[in-house]
Amino acid sequence: MKVIQIILISLVLYLFGYFAQNLSFADANLTSNPASNTSDLVDFENDLIPIFTKFGCNAGACHGSAAGRGEFKLSLFGGNPKADYKAIVRQLAGRRINLIHPEQSLVILKPTAQTSHGGGQVLSEDGEAIQLLRNWIKQGALYQTLRKLERIEISPQKQIITNLEQPIQLYATAVYSDNTSKDVTRWTVFTPEDTSAIEIDASSATAKLSRPGRHIILARYLTEVVPIELIAPLNDVNIHNLQKTIDKQPTSSTDTFVDKEIHKLLTILRLPISGTIDDVTFLRRVSLDLTGRLPTVATVKAFIADSNAKKREILVDKLLESDEFNEYWTLQFAKLLRIGAKERNTQGAYVYHQWLSNQIRDGVGYDKIARSVILATGDTHEIGPANFYRTVDGSREQAEFMSELFMGVRLRCANCHNHPLDKWTQDDYHGLTAIFAKIEDDQVVRLKPSAEVIHPATRESAIPRIPGEMYLPTNVPDFRVDLVEWLTNTDNPYFAKAIVNRLWKAMMGRGLVEPVDDFRSTNPATHPELLTALADDFVAHDYNMRRTLRQIALSDAYARSSHALPQNKSDDRFYSHSVKKTLSPEVLADAISDVLGVPDSYGDEPLGTRAVSLFNPNTESDALDVLGRCSRETSCEQSEEAIDGLQRKLHLFNGELLNARIGVQDSRLNILISQGTSPKEIVTEFYISALNRYPTDSDIAFWQQHIDFNESANSQSTILEDMVWSLLTCNEFVINH
Amino acid sequence: MFGFKRCDGISRRDFLRVGGLTALGLGLGDFFHLQRTFAGNKTITAKAKSCILIWLDGGPSHLETFDPKPDAPQEVRGPLKTIPTNVTGIRISECLERIAGIMDKCAIIRSMTSPLGEHNLGTQYLMTGYKPTPALEYPTFGSTVAYIRSQNSQKSKGDALSALPPNIAVPNFTGELSGNGYLPTATRQFSVGGNSKDSDFKVRDLDFYEGIDLTRLTRRKQFVNALNEFSNAKDAGTTTTDPELERAYNLITSPKAKAAFSLAEEPHEVRQRYGQGGVNGIGQACLLARRLVERGVPFVTVNHAGWDTHQDIFTLKERYPTDRNAHLPSLDRALSALIQDLSERRKLDETLVVVMGEFGRTPKINPQGGRDHWPNVFSVMLAGGGVQGGQIIGSSDALGEFPRERPVTPSDLAATIYTLLGIDPSFELHTSDGRPVRVAPDGAKVVSELFA
Repeated sequence: MKVIQIILISLVLYLFGYFAQNLSFADANLTSNPASNTSDLVDFENDLIPIFTKFGCNAGACHGSAAGRGEFKLSLFGGNPKADYKAIVRQLAGRRINLIHPEQSLVILKPTAQTSHGGGQVLSEDGEAIQLLRNWIKQGALYQTLRKLERIEISPQKQIITNLEQPIQLYATAVYSDNTSKDVTRWTVFTPEDTSAIEIDASSATAKLSRPGRHIILARYLTEVVPIELIAPLNDVNIHNLQKTIDKQPTSSTDTFVDKEIHKLLTILRLPISGTIDDVTFLRRVSLDLTGRLPTVATVKAFIADSNAKKREILVDKLLESDEFNEYWTLQFAKLLRIGAKERNTQGAYVYHQWLSNQIRDGVGYDKIARSVILATGDTHEIGPANFYRTVDGSREQAEFMSELFMGVRLRCANCHNHPLDKWTQDDYHGLTAIFAKIEDDQVVRLKPSAEVIHPATRESAIPRIPGEMYLPTNVPDFRVDLVEWLTNTDNPYFAKAIVNRLWKAMMGRGLVEPVDDFRSTNPATHPELLTALADDFVAHDYNMRRTLRQIALSDAYARSSHALPQNKSDDRFYSHSVKKTLSPEVLADAISDVLGVPDSYGDEPLGTRAVSLFNPNTESDALDVLGRCSRETSCEQSEEAIDGLQRKLHLFNGELLNARIGVQDSRLNILISQGTSPKEIVTEFYISALNRYPTDSDIAFWQQHIDFNESANSQSTILEDMVWSLLTCNEFVINH
Repeated sequence: MFGFKRCDGISRRDFLRVGGLTALGLGLGDFFHLQRTFAGNKTITAKAKSCILIWLDGGPSHLETFDPKPDAPQEVRGPLKTIPTNVTGIRISECLERIAGIMDKCAIIRSMTSPLGEHNLGTQYLMTGYKPTPALEYPTFGSTVAYIRSQNSQKSKGDALSALPPNIAVPNFTGELSGNGYLPTATRQFSVGGNSKDSDFKVRDLDFYEGIDLTRLTRRKQFVNALNEFSNAKDAGTTTTDPELERAYNLITSPKAKAAFSLAEEPHEVRQRYGQGGVNGIGQACLLARRLVERGVPFVTVNHAGWDTHQDIFTLKERYPTDRNAHLPSLDRALSALIQDLSERRKLDETLVVVMGEFGRTPKINPQGGRDHWPNVFSVMLAGGGVQGGQIIGSSDALGEFPRERPVTPSDLAATIYTLLGIDPSFELHTSDGRPVRVAPDGAKVVSELFA
């Protein structure tokens, strides 16, 4: 009974509100100034929504939250103006709006704190925002929208700042579909990415840098979010050296476009460049990066002896064609595809890994690999790429996985609301989900044409859609075909960039866009032109990954020393010195085995199996438990190195990883000793095998204090074991420098 | 500890590099005699030397623990009943009967509120007091406390504390956080690993490997230090000692420090009292935490997983009738034993116990009989360390959806925890590029009602 009563009362109130409104529409029309023209009309979408954004009303912490606040819900950052209009004008029986006494509208009383407001006073009673709201209500609180926002133009877009003290004036201009434009600076929200580096004065729309570097401000107006890039030089130092490098004529036969933009930015930032690495350091670096292995003792010696001026180029080409390259890059892509994410599906993981390994070996273009996995169907125990559909559970997860993998974008936010920092809408998210909903992801992957997903906003079945592009015609048997055509089209703006950025990171230690799966206009690349050039070249050459890796490997930037200079040591993204890379767990485990000369055991795999070749990420291995592993249940791209250092060091001291193998029979040390090799030669041999260089004079001098070079090695085996142990524990070994 | 400045003439960057762990000249004494006057003229003395954080990973339901809603409709109220506590007027979940008996020692904040309903983001916010940003990774409480304490303690050689890591996680740490954020890796939590409910529980790799003795261990460390010094991978002007290697060495070579991890030293009755079953061995983990703080470890995180109850909220009580190992009963046993044990040993006053997760759960039970993520309002429990027990701070609304009064943000909670531990929330740490960052965010308000 009580319920019915409430319904009746609300109905009456609602109707009353409705009529009152209509009444006053007439009223408003009668009393409105006949001289008023359309430009005085308050445009709900273009004039009012920005106010709600500017003052934080529709932010996630306030009325923009999924549940709203105080029974009042606005769409996040005004993503859905029609719903906002309904919430303001219709809900609460229309009490938020009082057409007869606009001053008494809740939408005015609340934010000015004339009645109690959970968020306190946000607007001042005589401010421009309240004026606009008041006028809008006076005019009848209509859903009036006179023009459509096309884009906003920001000034500056990118500026080099030489004087930190000088405030930078920011401007925002809205450009509309009818070719008109308007200064919207005061309604634009400017948010620094790093609040400690940039101070924004909201009232004057000025920014002030508090420290040098490259900093981003996000400008938000209505649905548009645009980055502003401010660059302040890091040094006032003499840049003679830098200039010399820039003026230098290209010496290698390859294109130098890789270095051009890097040099340009270094010049702007006045960052001096660290030197070029010597041959042995290059050999170690590039062998680890391209093959996941240390060069052998023989290779090191031969490379030093080689007098060919092009020996680095020859080396790179040789590595790119090696079996070791295939094995290592199969691992890299297996991590990316998350092969073996489902612990129970080992048979599937095995055939998937096999298939991938063949693609890498045969140099199949990356577009074809993507095509194969996306279009795969069949028994996952036999058809490798079909396991793409058994990586994650559910079509939403599949949509997110696909977009992070092949587009380098995160759609997740758009599940529940339009993406606050990007253009993705709920239609994009659920449209892409609808494509994957039509795939049955059991052991046999097949089409399931009748399957649908519900769009949470419309509560109807979502229409298959290519994100950001177009709805798909509904009479097609397999929507994946359209998706993959679009994705691998040479004009696709995401596909090539997402992968070349990952290749760049593998070689250079940091993506041009970081995180590598978070491309968006508001997270710009450090070197946008370079990223575009790499992607264009990649596409123009059949999506050939080896070619891109080769270009990077032969660039000046790649061969730069990792030794930071005092003036460039704060640089972690401009490549003034190279980024040191920690060896990945698999590579380190193999390197340890190689130096010791004793293989490790991995589950039931035959002895001698290398960690990088394991198809199953959960293969039993104490070494990987200690050194770290990625189970591939989630992306492996962020947290692989989050291992407790103390735990690892305890294990190195007291665990089996090194102790159980250092001096055993058939170990490198044991063989050298039994061959009667002198202690000095043994030290040298281990330097070359572990650090891939000869010991320096000071190295030798140090060891001479502890090891008697004139005595036999046999009588000093424990101290030699300790020498080997320390080589495998020191920083120079575990870092690709 | 307030208002001290860095030496003039040294840039922040130099300060950090040269300074290492000793640049901030602040005596230990200051911490424990710290007096502050808060608005309302309440003077507090920080008593807590250590903190045990019981982290309920996944986000515990506030409605099934510390903020039940017996008068709400069935779909909000849920399947569990409530019981009175030894403090008149305070009721909590029927599954927390032992805690109900010591409610006079506990304080509950029922008006915690955060906008972050995703595990990783919520965890970062709750564990650091800062909302996560891509620009900077903040350190967790454990790392910050470890860092500040290590700068201020005058370690005497051979003291168990000097070898024990200052920030320990039992059995493991949570989520995808590094823990130390911008602070040195030496402040990162040490995970003891293993399964502390095993009767022969042992931390791995603390004892010498066969054939290795102290001489060889020392020699190996000396060799590595030398190699790092000559290293090709070294930048000019940087120090090269491997701090983790040093810490590992110190731990292995200190019998007293190693003994701290030995649960076998505890009498059978004590081990029973904390509970020997239980998910993830929370009972024995709490017991180990007590042994560690007793020996001066400033921060211990007990990580208790499995609170992400999207299905069948009822299983928190029991997976099958009379199952004592289900989440709520084992938490009840372990937490009450910890607080009482600390109290009996007169250590409760100097040990702050905090019980929380990354958010609460949706007030309305979902179709799977579970509750989803709900950060808008949730509860945190605190005891000991200068906290006035027997009180409820703030409240949620009738359906447990939003704070009704006295909303407390994770930033406010961080400022409060730091203050209880004698650390000024406005104290500035420095990132590796010399930028100053407060331990708790600017604007965070200390919940001063908590203080005894």
